[in-house]
Amino acid sequence: MTAWARNLRAGSERPVWMEKPKPGMQVVKLAALVIICFMALYPLFAVLATSLSSQTEIANNNGLVIFPKEPTLAAYRTIFAGGVVTDALLRSLVITVVGTALSLAVTVCMAYGLTRRDLVGGRFFLMTALFTMLFSPGIIPSFLMVKELGLLNSYASLVLPTLMSAFNLVVVRSFFMNLPQELFEAAKIDGAGDFRILIKMVLPLSKGVLAVVGLFYGVGYWNAFFNAMLYLNDDKWPLSMILRQYVLLGQPMGDSAAVAEIAVPSQAIQMAVVVVSLIPIVIVFPFLQRYFTKGVLTGAIKG
Amino acid sequence: MASLGALTLFGAGALTACGQRTANSVSNAADALLPKTIPLKAQTPDIAGTADGVPAAFYKYPAPFRSVEKAPLNGGTVTAITNLFGTAPNSRDKNPAWQAIEARLGGKVEINAVSSDDYGTKFNTMVAGGDLPDLMLNDGSAIPNIVEFLEAKCADLTPLLGGDAISAYPNLAAIPEIFWKNTVQAGKIYSLPIPRNLTGGSGFVNQTLLQKVGLSSTEEIKDKDDFYKVLKDLTNPSKNQWALGSTKFGMTMMHHIFRTPNQWRNSNGKLTRHIETDEYLAAVEFAAKLYKDGLYVPGSEGWTKSQMVNAFISGKVAMIYDGLPAYTGPTGYGRTLPAANPANKAVPFIPFGYDGGKAQTWLDNITFGTVMLKKNDDAKLKEVLSVANFLAAPFGSEEFLLLNYGVAGTDYTMDANGNPIATDRALLDTAVPWKYLAAPQQVVFDPSDRSIVDTLHSAYSKLIPLGVADPCETLFSPTQATEGSKIMQPVSDAATAVIAGRAQIGTLKDAIAGWKKNGGDTIRAEYEQALNA
Repeated sequence: MTAWARNLRAGSERPVWMEKPKPGMQVVKLAALVIICFMALYPLFAVLATSLSSQTEIANNNGLVIFPKEPTLAAYRTIFAGGVVTDALLRSLVITVVGTALSLAVTVCMAYGLTRRDLVGGRFFLMTALFTMLFSPGIIPSFLMVKELGLLNSYASLVLPTLMSAFNLVVVRSFFMNLPQELFEAAKIDGAGDFRILIKMVLPLSKGVLAVVGLFYGVGYWNAFFNAMLYLNDDKWPLSMILRQYVLLGQPMGDSAAVAEIAVPSQAIQMAVVVVSLIPIVIVFPFLQRYFTKGVLTGAIKG
Repeated sequence: MASLGALTLFGAGALTACGQRTANSVSNAADALLPKTIPLKAQTPDIAGTADGVPAAFYKYPAPFRSVEKAPLNGGTVTAITNLFGTAPNSRDKNPAWQAIEARLGGKVEINAVSSDDYGTKFNTMVAGGDLPDLMLNDGSAIPNIVEFLEAKCADLTPLLGGDAISAYPNLAAIPEIFWKNTVQAGKIYSLPIPRNLTGGSGFVNQTLLQKVGLSSTEEIKDKDDFYKVLKDLTNPSKNQWALGSTKFGMTMMHHIFRTPNQWRNSNGKLTRHIETDEYLAAVEFAAKLYKDGLYVPGSEGWTKSQMVNAFISGKVAMIYDGLPAYTGPTGYGRTLPAANPANKAVPFIPFGYDGGKAQTWLDNITFGTVMLKKNDDAKLKEVLSVANFLAAPFGSEEFLLLNYGVAGTDYTMDANGNPIATDRALLDTAVPWKYLAAPQQVVFDPSDRSIVDTLHSAYSKLIPLGVADPCETLFSPTQATEGSKIMQPVSDAATAVIAGRAQIGTLKDAIAGWKKNGGDTIRAEYEQALNA
């Protein structure tokens, strides 16, 4: 019979988790947490250590160094010389922030409009948006459209063609429809217009879903590389494309024509770029984590 | 409905016409007026090249000479699309090397550099959009309907480059005739070659480990049984050492030993694909035996290139397959193996015949690709060719130094022997893919150690005379262009399964029969038609 059951039987009704933890169990829990932390942190540490290593150390450690004996910043000096990586990082940040803001604005406006029962042609607009979830135009028609709009080799080509996602529209619209409509009717009676209701009432109640949808858009813009490959020249590539080029350094398809006397190992350069690309995410995520957790749960539970 | 029917008929008719034109568009380089080769009287190499194509060799960078006096562009702009391998370069406004090159050119070059993995997608999308640049790389796989594309969109360069006409472009004229054969389609010169050193070689071996089992070179191995014994002696899993370990089993080495044909064998106008030969099956069966007996690092067939490189230079693996250009330079095996394992030395693998006779290597690295010029008026074509002439400046020239090493003082400094030593910013400044728009014939050069140059040049001297060319390299088969890779994949997968012990040789034979049925025989017929035309 378990301790909890015994307690219940004795009438104390204290669940096990409220009892004082036993020293043995504390040790077991601590060990488990240490192992899990180690498994999570070890790859990151190895990436950092490898980025500081020479070719000899990388080769002698089968490609993944833990403790570099002669750490060197050569890989970081190489990737920061001239500013390719820093410029790409800035581009990605700007595209992500601007793109996410615009996408959220457009999605929120359309979602709110589609919740209004008196919207003329509302069903038509909704069906048109949902149609894009099932059918995409294909690479060449998209390219032709972007070209005809004069967006080739411009940053707008990464934002405008994917400004609104039908999936996110449905999520936001569903959330808005579950808000208490009586509030909005009362506001209307008091003379508030739709725009005022949206800004003053709907948005403050929707922080969780906006954070989640904003995350979806943000991750999409941050990781976008196919459109960047198709529409941009390499001098405007975002960080995802630059990172991909560095990752491809280790591929056998590379042509080994004569190059200058550059001795920084390709794996060290790859790991250095990975470290640099992690920095913005590590900085931003702790501030947004509670919104995501709350938002995911809010979206999951109806009523 | 009637209009839809008319559209269908029209569309079908157009497609049929398209299919008929493509099916008969076979081509042979022998039909074209190739450019005359006019060697440049410039630098004297330390080891001369040969008429066979063995490259010249230099122990140090020679005193630079100027090969192009007049700026090719007069303030104009040339556009281009080509491959990008490795890092993206610093942008023009932050790239002194790019600015210096354009100052020498007298104008701008707008390059659309695309990762090699994405080149097909981007290039074909650009073609569909009707927006072609002046210079376009043909990497051999991006354009399935190449003949139609060349005829419709690309300039016939024969009047400007054929025969003596090429003397207007001295750096291009210095490129030997063998490299120009790949630029011919339907009897016309449609592109510029990007030369390589003819053969990719047979791989590399750790000579120090080989010496421990009593050999100084793989040339001393008598036959396949002797090779097996050597591999067994080189394998000691308890000491973390194996004889072999390469991506996809490093089969090129085995094929050279067993004298597998280079893609096709031509017997009096009759073609046999390499996979249909007894030599191919023998090489696969031998590799399967080696794998089964534990002479390959388990799982090494799935290694990335980085894993293979690390295994070799750490001494875990004694023999690998990698291209010969991977021997020189600061990341080449000539330097990295001794740096990781002092007293160890890497040398190229020189193959022997499986039966005690001579081996047979492949001339499988003649050109990296070719570069097409968009159709244009003669004045523009000449301007673009002048730019290409600049980019094809030979080793030892000021232009070559600028294109490959960057700006003196910023991207490199000269050591006491006059060799350029790169600075930290050189990698990104020199990453602009000029060398994939036009390039000279390659040389062997490594300023760090004369023995590296001697070893590699010696290897080329032995391997190139043993080399056989692909008899269909300069021919075109429409079915090969559209279906070739797809129908060969099951054969490649079956070979991998047989070597790894997951399937019997019968599986491979069935896959080869499938290749023949699904298009292989059609490809053969098309190539034979071109060969015998």
